[in-house]
Amino acid sequence: MIAQQIINAVSLGGVYALLALGLAIVFSIVGLINFAHGELMTLSGYALLASLVLGFPFPVAVLVAVSCGALAAVAMERVAFRPMRGASVTSLLLTSFAVSSLLKVVFQNGISARPQAVAMPSWMTGAFSFGDFTIGVGPSISIVVSALALIALEVFLRRSVTGTAMRAAAEDFDVVRLMGIPASRIIATAFLLSGLLAGLAAMLWVAQRASVDPLMGFTPVLKAFIAAVVGGLGSLPGAVAGGFLLGIIEVLLQATLPGAIAPYRDAIVLSGVIAVLLVRPQGLIPAVRAQRS
Amino acid sequence: MLSVEALKIRYGEVEAVRRVDLTVGSGEIIALVGANGAGKSSTLGAVAGLVPAASGKVVFDGVDITGLAPEAIARKGVALVPEGRRIFASLTVADNLRLGGAVHQPAAEARLREEEILELFPILRRYHRVKGGNLSGGEQQMLAIARALMGKPRMILLDEPSLGLAPQLIDTVFDLIAELRRKGLTILLVEQNVALALEIADRAVVLANGEVVLSGTAKELASSDLVRQAYLGA
Repeated sequence: MIAQQIINAVSLGGVYALLALGLAIVFSIVGLINFAHGELMTLSGYALLASLVLGFPFPVAVLVAVSCGALAAVAMERVAFRPMRGASVTSLLLTSFAVSSLLKVVFQNGISARPQAVAMPSWMTGAFSFGDFTIGVGPSISIVVSALALIALEVFLRRSVTGTAMRAAAEDFDVVRLMGIPASRIIATAFLLSGLLAGLAAMLWVAQRASVDPLMGFTPVLKAFIAAVVGGLGSLPGAVAGGFLLGIIEVLLQATLPGAIAPYRDAIVLSGVIAVLLVRPQGLIPAVRAQRS
Repeated sequence: MLSVEALKIRYGEVEAVRRVDLTVGSGEIIALVGANGAGKSSTLGAVAGLVPAASGKVVFDGVDITGLAPEAIARKGVALVPEGRRIFASLTVADNLRLGGAVHQPAAEARLREEEILELFPILRRYHRVKGGNLSGGEQQMLAIARALMGKPRMILLDEPSLGLAPQLIDTVFDLIAELRRKGLTILLVEQNVALALEIADRAVVLANGEVVLSGTAKELASSDLVRQAYLGA
């Protein structure tokens, strides 16, 4: 029972971490809090549904769905955010709200406002048993996928030139451009990565719920946003730490709160967030930003 | 090699640069001097593409580069070492250098270039794996110049390289600038320390309130009454 709860907590934390990381990557580079991030997740969910309906084998469908998330993120930057480059934080924020609302309406009217069932392979809903322990396959896969994605991202950011340039751009974008590295390449890569992470998170989310609906991305991305703020907005290690922390606290409260108090779970979590920000306004692991004179 | 013609720069209502004309010949060191707020850094910013020109032209090697993006200008061989150094504090010295040379040459050539640069800046070899933010001010200035040189620029724009450095470090930095010039690099140097700038430069341009008030060879300016009274304290 306890083992199962820990697995659930880490698995939910992993999904939040992937989403928070996607938000943080984009924020660290363009200063945009992308509220349409949730719609990238929803879009990947529908892409999975469509691929399965079209009869693609499951691995291919997942690949298609995740790629759709990544491409949609790049397209979103190209169409909605690039014309706004250099605009104020508020204008960027409003733009992302507009994109988000637009996509939600398209999903509602173009597909359906009701949840659509996604036929996940039966092995995903199974469980391993070790003596007294029973551990779900879905949450275990979720943990492995999150861990691999985090490692792959870390390697990319440390080893590749583009990754290094992205870390530098989070500190001082102008100077990266002075090195001859094109701004559009850095920004497009940031969106591509955030879309990939949203796509992966969508797969893990759908795997546990076996359905897709137009508002699917809203709650997890709201949580991821909170995680990113708690971690330190724009800080990548902070986003990961915040994501896991939030997921673990949510599941633990869910498991331990008495029935009468359980409905207040989110209120308790958010009060905790306020407490953290009162003590550490820059978040748990603040982002590095260049000091400008 | 570089000519700036009737450059004007505005920040909103404020005219930071009213009119600047200057030319830099191949292999020369030109000093751009003047008081705080005279428009020196804005002029460099406009040459590098960081600051938009309200009017006027910047021509490099016969090509009009006015209004090009900073990355495009950098690829043409103009490197700016910005005021305050602005090295990437969270990146290692090695990564700072790597980014400096990343787009200008294939990876194998960039490694050779890094070797050349480390010969020139032995201190950076010692701190290769150290984060830029942990270096001292002088070391950061060396890193900022080294990073700019990684891309094999033909011209380098130095913005206040002596700012905030201890006197003996200033000497080291200026010895290095002289050495770069001997290697054939063209240099446009912005400097508040006028005496030092005139010592090293071939020619100098004096800016005041966004306009050129005086220009000539460094020797002429060093002996001019205006410069002696206003900037050299003589």
